[in-house]
Amino acid sequence: MMFTTEMIQLFAVVLGRDAERVSEMLLSEGVVQFLNIAEIDNEEMANLSSVQSQVSLVDISGLRERIEGLLHTIGIIPKAPKETDLNARAPVAVEKEKKLLDKIDGERESIRERQRSIQQEILKLEDIRRQVDLYGLGLSDVPLKTKHSFLQIQTGRIPLSNTVKFEENLRALPSLGISLGQEDDLAHYLLISMKRDSEQINKILSQSGWTNIELPNELKSVKEDVFKEITAKLGALTEEQKKLERRVSDLIRNQEKQLTDIWVNLRVTELLYKIQTNFKTSSRTVIFTGWLPLSKKDALSEKIQSACGDRCYLEWHNPGGQEIVDDEVPVQFNNPKVLAPFEMLVSNFGIPQYKTIDPTPFVMPLYLAMFGLMFADAGQGLVLVIAGILGMKHFKTIPEKKGYFKLSWLIIWCGVSSIVFGILFGSYFGKAIFEAVWFDFHGIVSGHPEGNSAVKDILDILAITLYFGIAVIFVGLLFNWINLIRTRRWMDLFFDKGGVFGAWIYTGGIYIASYMVDNNYKELPSGFIVFMLAGLPALLLFLKEPYHYLHHKTEKGFNPLMILNFLMQWLVELLEIFTGYLANTLSFMRVAGIGIAHASLMISFYTIAGMTSGIYSVIILVLGNILVICLEGLSAGVQALRLSYYEFFTKFFHGTGKLYTPISLNSD
Amino acid sequence: MAGALKKYAFINAKLRGRISKILSDEVFDRLAKASSLDSALDILRDTNFAQLQEIYSSTGDLKKGELELLKKEIELYVDIKQYVYKGSIEFINALLYQFEIENLKNAIRVFFNRKIRNRSSDPNIHYILYEPVIHKIPIDIIINANHFDEVAGVCIGTPYEPIIKKYSETVVSQGSLFRMEAAFDHFYYSNLIAAAAKLDKKDRDIVYRLTGVEIDLQNIDWLIRLKNFYNMPLDAVLAMLIPGGFTLSQAVISELYKAQNVSGILQNFVKGKYPGLTALLSSQTADSQSRLLLIDRILEEIMKQEVHRILAGEPFTIGIILAYFILKRNELKKIRTILNAKKYNLQQQRIESMI
Repeated sequence: MMFTTEMIQLFAVVLGRDAERVSEMLLSEGVVQFLNIAEIDNEEMANLSSVQSQVSLVDISGLRERIEGLLHTIGIIPKAPKETDLNARAPVAVEKEKKLLDKIDGERESIRERQRSIQQEILKLEDIRRQVDLYGLGLSDVPLKTKHSFLQIQTGRIPLSNTVKFEENLRALPSLGISLGQEDDLAHYLLISMKRDSEQINKILSQSGWTNIELPNELKSVKEDVFKEITAKLGALTEEQKKLERRVSDLIRNQEKQLTDIWVNLRVTELLYKIQTNFKTSSRTVIFTGWLPLSKKDALSEKIQSACGDRCYLEWHNPGGQEIVDDEVPVQFNNPKVLAPFEMLVSNFGIPQYKTIDPTPFVMPLYLAMFGLMFADAGQGLVLVIAGILGMKHFKTIPEKKGYFKLSWLIIWCGVSSIVFGILFGSYFGKAIFEAVWFDFHGIVSGHPEGNSAVKDILDILAITLYFGIAVIFVGLLFNWINLIRTRRWMDLFFDKGGVFGAWIYTGGIYIASYMVDNNYKELPSGFIVFMLAGLPALLLFLKEPYHYLHHKTEKGFNPLMILNFLMQWLVELLEIFTGYLANTLSFMRVAGIGIAHASLMISFYTIAGMTSGIYSVIILVLGNILVICLEGLSAGVQALRLSYYEFFTKFFHGTGKLYTPISLNSD
Repeated sequence: MAGALKKYAFINAKLRGRISKILSDEVFDRLAKASSLDSALDILRDTNFAQLQEIYSSTGDLKKGELELLKKEIELYVDIKQYVYKGSIEFINALLYQFEIENLKNAIRVFFNRKIRNRSSDPNIHYILYEPVIHKIPIDIIINANHFDEVAGVCIGTPYEPIIKKYSETVVSQGSLFRMEAAFDHFYYSNLIAAAAKLDKKDRDIVYRLTGVEIDLQNIDWLIRLKNFYNMPLDAVLAMLIPGGFTLSQAVISELYKAQNVSGILQNFVKGKYPGLTALLSSQTADSQSRLLLIDRILEEIMKQEVHRILAGEPFTIGIILAYFILKRNELKKIRTILNAKKYNLQQQRIESMI
């Protein structure tokens, strides 16, 4: 758990006829991160060719993505294939699948076309409605709002036989023809159109045999309903749009089963082909190589042998060996599931290098301790736990929101930490309902602490966070040494800023500072002690640059000016060590600062609530608690993360590793 | 006067956060590869452009989605205004003019096509912004106008009235709006430069530099049009160009207009300032239009490099605001280009060359 998983590299040769079975087995096991065999710097390997697949991987991926797109439109995200899908795999008929997708696309496009034409009608009617809205109708008994009406309104009649053509022609322009009824073989209309289109409207009217008439008195009320008519028409068109939108969904939904089955088959084939792109082949054999966790070696070995009936040759290489291909070993986190939210925090910063310490198990107590110190309240912590549980339940079923699921767990953990520290400091929604188990944080902040704790004032709280920070920095330094020893970087173990000499100076600095504090800032330790604690390691650090020069000697040769260069680099390094460690340590005081701000805010809300009574007081306290939970919760979360990243990680963690990503049925 | 830190610290942090959300090249690559417009829009579902997909699936109307994009872009400027120091507000207002001018041009085009060119109902009428951007211009009246006097009349009190009055006869007689539109663009840039002149020296220099590259791009665009489509002589072309360019002086433009070997001229001004772009120049082009398109591409690259220079340089300047606007505009432009290309079933390779 403290270190990343131990890895091993497999080099395998199997017969060509067994390659398919072996690929299927490798996919089913899903433990190998393949390496491209072409990277092997060997003449014999250069003569090998790639494995030719029956269908192009690009075509398969393209089809798979198209189906994904279709399924997404009805809110379906296909699930990763299962082993049974691998066994039931059928050859991909690219053309057949393409034809099906093209057919669906074609049908969808024709619906879209219909949608577009309805949309044009909607836009035209909206154009008229906007005019009516802005300037009124302009009928004789309805005065215009302004002189700018662009509407043309007329009433008239056309022969019944021309009505269909008339209405069809009007559709091309922003217009509204309201049927006013029929008389004999004539249809009466109230026609609203735009003045700017009068030329085209007149043409349509003359083609339809239009005759202008006065609006009969009994139909005058129709004018009042014009706006309603437009709205009703728009409503009907919008409803039709919705129907068409549903038709697109139904079109895909009807094919859902078939599309999902094709998707699964494509996905399995795609993954198999991805594996095979890493294979190289001779006339009869296939070669592949890749990394896997050491713990899986025996099981995989057995499976390969069984898949090819023992007709194979397997070689296993440990990282760092001369035989390995690509010396960048992938890194697999090795933590229990409970640490997943903290693993997320670590991987956001970077991936640890192989063989170095994985900080995840240490981030959990560190992060939670800092969060708890900054946000110590049992009641508010409980709210966080509830919010986290709700979030977790919500995101559990949404695979693509995995990050939010982990974040919900992190909130639950933070809530638990707040509850623990709330009990220690006796804070329950900002109130001391029960006596503090450790010390009365709120009492100290407000100036009248209760109980007999050793922590009595704000300076004591600040001191706690300083000691905490010093401990964290020392743990970081210790991890750095472990990493340097494991990676056999002996000189860095001494000369690195976080190496032995750096830590020596830091320890000396802490001793000197505490000696001064104990002596009321008036006395320093003796000169000899100061020299031994800070001077000697500083002088020893001077050897770093000359050592580097001798170790990486260039053809240029020695130049006396280099001494000046060594001196400058030494001075800069010393400056960085002194200021860096001081800043790192003092940075932890923010933990106390935010904790004090949290307590102060709650005290303020109680004071404000105390100025009122009854329901107002309750409202103020509820709102105050909500504000503090949101504001301080976020602030404490961010600051705890910042301290973990910049004061702890930077001591030992470079985050330049490469994550282990085997090809499996669950691959992204 | 407030210090640079006070003026730009907040907006710098805010915009850097937003810049990180600008779509990556990988997304554009996937968009270009999408099998259909629907598939492309589906890729945007989990981005800030999800609205486009919603609009398209409910209306089938891509232009309506584009109009929403335009509104969002304008909102972006208005939104940024509330976070900047008051000295920069005037400058952002000057930038906002580009949208008002573009909208006004669209409205005038609809009027022009209907009234002067006697073309039937223009569907673009439905994709014009009727809401005011800076001035309250009744776009309805422009669209429905019968004469340029009416158009100019509703623009009284805006900087556009004198321009419309001055060029209305020319555009009617030439049957082209180019002169009037060019005058609008001239106004936009001169107004922008005047607003920039009120900024501090450091900010001013950044604005001149970036606006200068933009002017160069605009001038090249015109050079292509004026030479190839209007067959305009050099003197007339030079008179039309917008002053204030960054890289292309009048002398360089004259040379570009006349030269056969364009690479040689380009080498001179590119190799010193932008050595990375010399690779682009290795592509030899035969015809004049390709030459000018090559310059256009180089200027786009220069703009990109300038933006990256700003982002990597001193953080507390107006540069961050300009860089953000440019990046955002490019993002929107690429989205529009790809979606329209998908609508017209253009090949992936062609789309990639367009973005």
